[in-house]
Amino acid sequence: MDSNDHLKWMKEAMIMAEEALAAGEVPVGCVFVRDGRIIAKARNRTNELRNATRHAELEAIDCIIADETLTPEIGQQYPLSKTTLYVTVEPCIMCASALRQLGIQEVYYGCGNERFGGCGSVLGVNEELDHPVHKSYKATGGFRREDAIMILRRFYITENANAPVPRSKANRVLKTEINPPSSPH
Amino acid sequence: MFPEPSLSPGPHHLNRTGCLIKISDNTGRGVYASQFIPKNTDIDISPVLLFSKQEYENHGRHTVLDHYTFKWTEGRMALALGLGSLFNHSDPPNVTYSLDIRNDSIRYTTARNIHEGEELCIFYGHNLWFTPAKPSSQTCSEPETDDGWGGLTVVGDDQQDEIMDIPNPYADGDTEAITSEEDLPFIRLKPAPEEEDAQSIQTVQAWVVDVPDPRHITTLLKWLKQAGLDGPELGHLKRIRKHDDLTSLLLSTTADPPQPPEDLNLPAPYLLPVPTSAALTLPSLSLKSALWPTMYTPRRKDEPEPWTRGKVAWAWNAMKRTVGAATKARLENDELPIAAHIPAPYDDRTATSPLPTFIAADTRRSTRHPLRHASIIAIRQMADYRASQGLDPPPDDDAPSVDPQSDPKETRNGSNYLLTDQTFFVTHEPCIMCSMALLHSRVKEVIYLHPMSKTGGCGGSACLPMLKGVNHRFTIFQWKGTTKVTAEDIRIDPTIDV
Repeated sequence: MDSNDHLKWMKEAMIMAEEALAAGEVPVGCVFVRDGRIIAKARNRTNELRNATRHAELEAIDCIIADETLTPEIGQQYPLSKTTLYVTVEPCIMCASALRQLGIQEVYYGCGNERFGGCGSVLGVNEELDHPVHKSYKATGGFRREDAIMILRRFYITENANAPVPRSKANRVLKTEINPPSSPH
Repeated sequence: MFPEPSLSPGPHHLNRTGCLIKISDNTGRGVYASQFIPKNTDIDISPVLLFSKQEYENHGRHTVLDHYTFKWTEGRMALALGLGSLFNHSDPPNVTYSLDIRNDSIRYTTARNIHEGEELCIFYGHNLWFTPAKPSSQTCSEPETDDGWGGLTVVGDDQQDEIMDIPNPYADGDTEAITSEEDLPFIRLKPAPEEEDAQSIQTVQAWVVDVPDPRHITTLLKWLKQAGLDGPELGHLKRIRKHDDLTSLLLSTTADPPQPPEDLNLPAPYLLPVPTSAALTLPSLSLKSALWPTMYTPRRKDEPEPWTRGKVAWAWNAMKRTVGAATKARLENDELPIAAHIPAPYDDRTATSPLPTFIAADTRRSTRHPLRHASIIAIRQMADYRASQGLDPPPDDDAPSVDPQSDPKETRNGSNYLLTDQTFFVTHEPCIMCSMALLHSRVKEVIYLHPMSKTGGCGGSACLPMLKGVNHRFTIFQWKGTTKVTAEDIRIDPTIDV
């Protein structure tokens, strides 16, 4: 698969991130691809579900496992072994572990995540961290990275306007300097 | 050391992955690899022969079968055919197995790469009916805690409950009395001291000058002040180093070397890496001071929160209930014996409408969803309850941080957190996924019974709340092996993600 294909799938993930933003959620979106087609796509639903763990990846995984046409082998230990994930932001430590437990084939992401990144930014759950059973997987960042960053910034700008007390002036000044990106098309 | 057991060839046996039966003096028949087998290879799928509960009670358990059978659903027992009954025990094992209830079979999978000639072993559980033939070859990181009821496993479950229904040892006494750290039924895991190894110490290049005549030091200190080089940026370091007979003075971190008064005839200043911060611990102090004498500012340790006897009794009951749920999950639903429990906070006991209790067992088998772990389910129950009550959503400050300028933490304040002030009880140390879910949910403290040294995210494989970068810390307590909550043995294969 060449780089254009990765960008094509990542664009689909970005559409999900846009949907999250429109719903007032942290704008992260993902698609799971198997045999050249999307088998599941999802976005963050943490606010709606009052659950800080309902990240896009886990939402999509639940759809895949609930669908018998996608996980035909009953009780299969690694239902994602022939599936690739495209997600706009590096999977967090929780999702990175979930993906490894399900035997994900490979992961492509947009931008890194300095606070929670589980594919190397904070902890290398995908590869470096040893696991007695589950094999490691490759995670590659940088696909539509700028788009992923800009949509997060757009979210923060909105949020900041709602914040009761802006914490620091420096923060505020920097925020206004950020140019919103053009919508993906 | 034990002498290597001698092996004699066993009967010829056909197996897809080339496993052979060989006979050892120590352990009798066993399964051996005839070639390299990669990790995660299914080496055998053994069909099983099932015995009904009654049949087994009346007959099977009085026979040699009792040494080979696996617990199946509905109280049935299963005898593995094929290679299944020939795997010897090892802790840690190199083969894991999973029961395929639907197909009446057991699947055996390699847990790591296996080399030619190696024996393939499974983990039988902690209640062995025999003495292992040889000590575990690994240097065990955690000594096996003897919980004292190994012999009772032969007693039926009902009797066992009766005999071993352990009373709460903290039930009596002054509920307000502070329990000493030693009398707590659990150990508080302490964060590893920071900067313990030389590699992790951060340094900066600083100008240093040797001062052959120590009488010049006073003059030089005055000069530093006049030159404006006595700012706070090097305040964590001592200015003067006396090393053997040589006295040196720390000057600055400026780009160019400062020029000390020329009349002192000092040698030229030179650059030296010095620590960027004071030492918080004694090991760190000695490492840092080896670079340059460093100030010691032990962090004022957060006084551990005291536990009253009443709260300890509450925790004991909560853990007992958690284990009860785990046992039930195994006996009634053939699930892994893992459960998580979020009781109403102890401090809520006098509240008119305390939060409900949430308790969940692992359901990965019945739901055929490998991620239906007890902790994640308990968190979800609580979230669903909050959603149904129209309570505030959790904060967004778990949003990814892509650059410091857009730190979402700074943009929000005053939100309600999902598990703030909640103590989370769980029978086994949660896996990386669940530990991070607990961190995302802002749990206050996690108390677990059995550590999972290979897969756990609360001190086993990693310790997530102590990682640099994460934006929440929670306290971790590990139940002491000597403090019994129930007679149930709920230990599991150490390679499982809890």
